[in-house]
Amino acid sequence: MQEQAASRVLVCIQCGKCTGGCPESGRTPFNIRMLVRKRQFQYNIEEAIPWYCTACNTCTIRCPRDVKPSEMIIEIRAALVEEGNIPVTIQKALENTFVQKNPWGKPRSRRADWTDKLTFEVPHISKTKNKRLLFSCCIHAYDPRCMVIPINVATLLNKADYEFGILGEEECCCGNEIRRIGELGLFEELMEENKANFEEYGVKEIIALSPHCMNTMKNEYGDMGIKVMHYTEVLSKLIKDGALKIEKPIDGGIIYHDPCFLGKQNKVFDEPRDILKNLNGINIFEFARSKDISLCCEGGGGRMFFDVEVPYQRNGEIRVMDAKKVGAGTIATACPFCLMNLEDPAKEKDVLVKDISEILMEVI
Amino acid sequence: MDIVVLTKRVPVTQEEELKIAQDGSSVDLSRVPFRMNDWDNYAIEEAVRICERHGGAITGVSIGDMESDEVLRRAIAMGAKDGCLVETKGIIQDPFMRASLIKNFIEKEGISFNVIFGGVQAEDDQFGVTCGILAAMLKLPFSSMVIGIDEIQENHMILRRELEGGIQERIKIKTPCVLSIQSGINEPRYVSIMGIRKASKVERKYFKAEQYLEGGAGSLIDVTRWFYPPKKEGAVMLQGEMEDTCRQLLGILKEKGVLQ
Repeated sequence: MQEQAASRVLVCIQCGKCTGGCPESGRTPFNIRMLVRKRQFQYNIEEAIPWYCTACNTCTIRCPRDVKPSEMIIEIRAALVEEGNIPVTIQKALENTFVQKNPWGKPRSRRADWTDKLTFEVPHISKTKNKRLLFSCCIHAYDPRCMVIPINVATLLNKADYEFGILGEEECCCGNEIRRIGELGLFEELMEENKANFEEYGVKEIIALSPHCMNTMKNEYGDMGIKVMHYTEVLSKLIKDGALKIEKPIDGGIIYHDPCFLGKQNKVFDEPRDILKNLNGINIFEFARSKDISLCCEGGGGRMFFDVEVPYQRNGEIRVMDAKKVGAGTIATACPFCLMNLEDPAKEKDVLVKDISEILMEVI
Repeated sequence: MDIVVLTKRVPVTQEEELKIAQDGSSVDLSRVPFRMNDWDNYAIEEAVRICERHGGAITGVSIGDMESDEVLRRAIAMGAKDGCLVETKGIIQDPFMRASLIKNFIEKEGISFNVIFGGVQAEDDQFGVTCGILAAMLKLPFSSMVIGIDEIQENHMILRRELEGGIQERIKIKTPCVLSIQSGINEPRYVSIMGIRKASKVERKYFKAEQYLEGGAGSLIDVTRWFYPPKKEGAVMLQGEMEDTCRQLLGILKEKGVLQ
């Protein structure tokens, strides 16, 4: 297994930059600086606390001593996982992933059902010339709200005559969230299965629809000799090269929300914005907390499967209110977790949330 | 307290579109994932908790093909001491035959126990009677739908059974005995992949079913045909705008007397 750099709690100087940037601090009982301190002295950490972390990685990015607190959270969680002492909803997600290779426990055999809605055939990756793989992601394959995204991206790539193939039901969960939940054995199994398929079919490029999948395959799967990109990087280039033409106008105000796993963790800020800049007639706004300091939607790190005990004002709601304040009618994003987490509060406040691919489908 | 827990490897069929062979003789399970029967999970967890408190050892017993080794590894990862796989040629559906097989195996191999746990039923065939028949064959007391084990004494246990409508019945049962465990008795622990890998190092014992079926009556039940449930009518899809469909729905509810 790729050796992830272990956390270095003993060099922490308790400066507090981590907690200063943490999306959970001040709202929840979670305090990353305190957790590092407790870890230094090997004090007991209350069971529920480590599960608040969203794995946004802000703490690790800001830390002046390279303590890697986000890796420490994974280590704490891994110990709880081995003890079997984890919240029931997380347990269900892990067990589902083990059996059906997706945390929602939907049948593996239906992973490519989204292709039924297309007007053209999508070949298996083995039957393509360029060996360019479209990796759909579990939530895109099974969630009714998100299923439109692979349909859109496939349609756009097809329109641009950009060859790609899929693994179909051989695709299994990338394991990004599984690793962050601390089930390192399961992560290893998922990674090995995906990598074996990549190798068997001679995959050369991977277009990931979710920044989470992109992140783990690019940074944690080891050196596969495969180029891993997010779909916005690909579509941005196709538009620039003229392979995709934006023809219809669109009006209104759009504000772009940087997903943590795409933006601050993998530095893909410009491509989604470049795509939006091509739209005629719209106003593009920026959040005050954008790009590197984008406000985490609280979907990562297993949070999609964790029920908090005490309700608090969620970042999704704060983001929606910020969008309303500048007068943007639509929040654009490029991650399915952000989409889901922003759309719930957005519905109540009459703001729309759209994936970049949904916006493109309106103007192509 | 030494406990034998019966564990079965069953197909995961939720939301699967199962395919039945053309001649109705079998269901195609080749692309369906498998896992430990949910009730057996609760049974193992209960056994592990009892042994953690009172001492003793747990032996997992599984009847089926060699793939059933998977559920024995899981049982060991949860806390069982070892596992026995009784390999059958083909699927034995008849619960009478299964019970007879288990009884002969336990007696011939001299498996010692204070209690035998099984799940209330199996997710695939759902007969729900194997444990009861086994108890009768072993001439042991039997209690089904066990939702709580409250006291364990030297020669008896006090337990609760789940009845209809949320009522529970408290009974005293002499040991040794056979119990079928109801889901919800506890919350089974999570077993990690690394835990299961570690459990793989514990030796499981393998036996062939033929030797325990000799002289038996054979199957009393034969599966004649598999078929899909007949498609019935009665579902109405309401079309139109939200306001329209709500009005339609209200109308239907009033008409059917649901809304007064």
